[in-house]
Amino acid sequence: MTSPKNPLVFKIFTECRKTKARTSKIYLPHGEVDAPVFMPVGTQGTMKGLLNEQLYNLEIQIILANTYHLGLKPGREIIEKAGGLHRFMNWNRNLLTDSGGFQMVSLLKLAQITEEGVKFQSLNESKLEILLTPEHSIEIQNSIGADIIMQLDDVVKTTSTDVNRITEAVGRTSRWLDRCLMAHKKADSQSIFPIVQGGLSTELRTKSALEHCSKNVRGYAIGGLSGGESKDDFWKMVHLSTNILPKDKPRYVMGVGFAVDLVVCVALGADMFDCVFPTRTARFGCALIMTGQINLRQKKYQNDFSPIDKECRCSTCETYTRSYLHHIVTMHTVACHLVTVHNLAFQQRLMKTIRVNIKEGTFPDFVRKFMYDVYPDKKYPSWVADSMKAVNIDLIR
Amino acid sequence: MKFSVKTSVKSAPRLGKLYCSNDSPSSFRFQTPMVLLYTRGGSLPHITHEVFKMISKNQEIIQIPLTSTYSFHQAMSQFEGNIASFVGMKDCLSYMTVQDPGELTQSGHHVKDNIPIWTRGGKVMINADKYMDLIENYKPDMYCMLTDSDTNVASLNKRIIKSVDNTIKFYNKCMERHTKSEILKDTFVIASVTGGYSIRERKRCLDAVTSNENVGGYVIDGLHNNGPEVEFIPFDEVKPVVKYVTENLPVDKVRIVQGCWNPLMVLHLVGCGIDIFDTSYCYIVTERSAALTFSLGTDDKLQKFEINLRESQYADDFKPILPNCTCLACTKHTRGYIHHLLAVQELLGPILLTIHNVHHYLRFFEKIRECIKENTLPEYQTKIAKEFREFEKKISSRTSSDTSVIAAES
Repeated sequence: MTSPKNPLVFKIFTECRKTKARTSKIYLPHGEVDAPVFMPVGTQGTMKGLLNEQLYNLEIQIILANTYHLGLKPGREIIEKAGGLHRFMNWNRNLLTDSGGFQMVSLLKLAQITEEGVKFQSLNESKLEILLTPEHSIEIQNSIGADIIMQLDDVVKTTSTDVNRITEAVGRTSRWLDRCLMAHKKADSQSIFPIVQGGLSTELRTKSALEHCSKNVRGYAIGGLSGGESKDDFWKMVHLSTNILPKDKPRYVMGVGFAVDLVVCVALGADMFDCVFPTRTARFGCALIMTGQINLRQKKYQNDFSPIDKECRCSTCETYTRSYLHHIVTMHTVACHLVTVHNLAFQQRLMKTIRVNIKEGTFPDFVRKFMYDVYPDKKYPSWVADSMKAVNIDLIR
Repeated sequence: MKFSVKTSVKSAPRLGKLYCSNDSPSSFRFQTPMVLLYTRGGSLPHITHEVFKMISKNQEIIQIPLTSTYSFHQAMSQFEGNIASFVGMKDCLSYMTVQDPGELTQSGHHVKDNIPIWTRGGKVMINADKYMDLIENYKPDMYCMLTDSDTNVASLNKRIIKSVDNTIKFYNKCMERHTKSEILKDTFVIASVTGGYSIRERKRCLDAVTSNENVGGYVIDGLHNNGPEVEFIPFDEVKPVVKYVTENLPVDKVRIVQGCWNPLMVLHLVGCGIDIFDTSYCYIVTERSAALTFSLGTDDKLQKFEINLRESQYADDFKPILPNCTCLACTKHTRGYIHHLLAVQELLGPILLTIHNVHHYLRFFEKIRECIKENTLPEYQTKIAKEFREFEKKISSRTSSDTSVIAAES
């Protein structure tokens, strides 16, 4: 489906009649991606202890890598020498890289943002001041060679109420987008996504989204959320952004990975998601199930000879009991790997269920059933009830 | 299980076969000399069952030390299957041992009629009855009787005598329980021969444990206290004792030596008529970020014994660990990628190293069997000895230069 000139083709298959949900395929240079899709995070060019073969078994079509980490180690030069990250890690499906800006702001307290770029002190012995500019970010992302790459954006903490600062960030993000698009050298194999900013302000979000709409790009990201803001604000920002962004291009909500959040965001019209949560929580012995998660360290699993989830068909649930996992969890790396496989299988199964229900026209029923299972007392959090009401699903009914 | 070997020479390389009870004589499962797959907490270090299936298509025997699986005992008393199925490896046979060959066993802490084992929850004292209760619970296909193996080359006579006294006592008690046990009637039981480096004590132990036909085989214990130190024990040190023991063991019983012996040592021990080893050596090699690359062929070309992929020279080396190796790590990934994974401490690093190292070690044992068949073991051993000496030289020059730096600083 992709021609050398067009490394991203987006095709919508079914649109939900009630909500804004849709199923689609994103055709990328390393194969197609069924959306709505959850993209697991493989920060340093590897998916937390899993072999590529295991990811293929899980039918994972796209994973994330972090530009900031890869830029430090192994470094741009080595990745170029290897022929890009796909070849370096021998991953033959799709990759998406972030711009590195978010990590800098979240990991490095001393980062300073100027019109030129993000200035920070290097973490290695040299303690040199490094400036990450939009051009530099794209240069590294070009070397990495991911199928989808992100613009460098000016991220403001979502909890910030400094209107001037958020206004500045929106303007700067637009200007940096232009610089990123200018610097992009591999437009025929990589697609840059702009990132909608604007904090929790309706006005500024609208401004940011509208500005991005005028650019010649193949998809959009909604950023600056999932940073500790209230969920009541979060969903409104997603809702507002998807209302503005063109229907015929994929929309990626960054940093979303909890099951309830995924269901809500899909209903609000988002197509792509990423989050470290499923893999990170696995390393602490937490396994995901449809109604939440279980902590395998708890004593009650000591003699529980059932699998994590009877409905799950993953290699962990087919072979291992909760009891065995309880005994080795946090003791042996094997336990991390086993729970990671399960949690990724869970995310895959959830997204597949979502897609099937949209396709079959049963998505609103699915949402009601799903939320009822998670909140059997029907005490829905206001943001869940309100957001679903906004897309014509009445949970309380 | 049954063991058969066609040889009358007591202390020489030998080819044997290990059968399961219901196998016909033509359908043996395992050929010896062979290697058991070392586990911790019931799993191969870093390797899940899904990945294990990518390493080996054959049936294998996993070695399960009680020290890292003792915490399972409450669950095992309610679990319906055996230990192999509890740890998710039901397609493997299991062999239970008391101590963990991959980890240094703390010396001392002796209490009459008990053996201290160091578990997740600390020290646990085990007597013969408690041990046999555990074995009946865990239901391994093969197990070693409780033994006092707390001796090494430096042990005093008093400790050695005590270890043999205890081992004989445990042997009698375990054998009595084993013979009466309905659950263990098809289980292959291994007796332990202890006695440190004293021929006299080894003889006393052998005299006590070699008369019962129901014993399936013997493990030569008490040569060391397990862990990485075993790697550099020289053959000359253990030779007199091992020779003495193998010459006095019944020729038709399987012989096991456990521990992280280096491959050259394995060849020496095979030369003494040892049949079974374990992969704890692969574990310690992996933990130091190294990959085994010693020769598996008998041509003249010498190879590096092992390479340490943490070294920066591998950062932009996009060759496989070992050209022509057919393991998943070598067919799919490069030294440069593995170097990166190790440098940033990603979990996939030790996984790929384990895949390669275990694969290489399994092939090493195939090579040993082939050499015995073709009478070429001495040539192969000469070659491995050369490669190993080079490696030792490199290691010792590194350690001596390290000490000189420290000396200069102080």
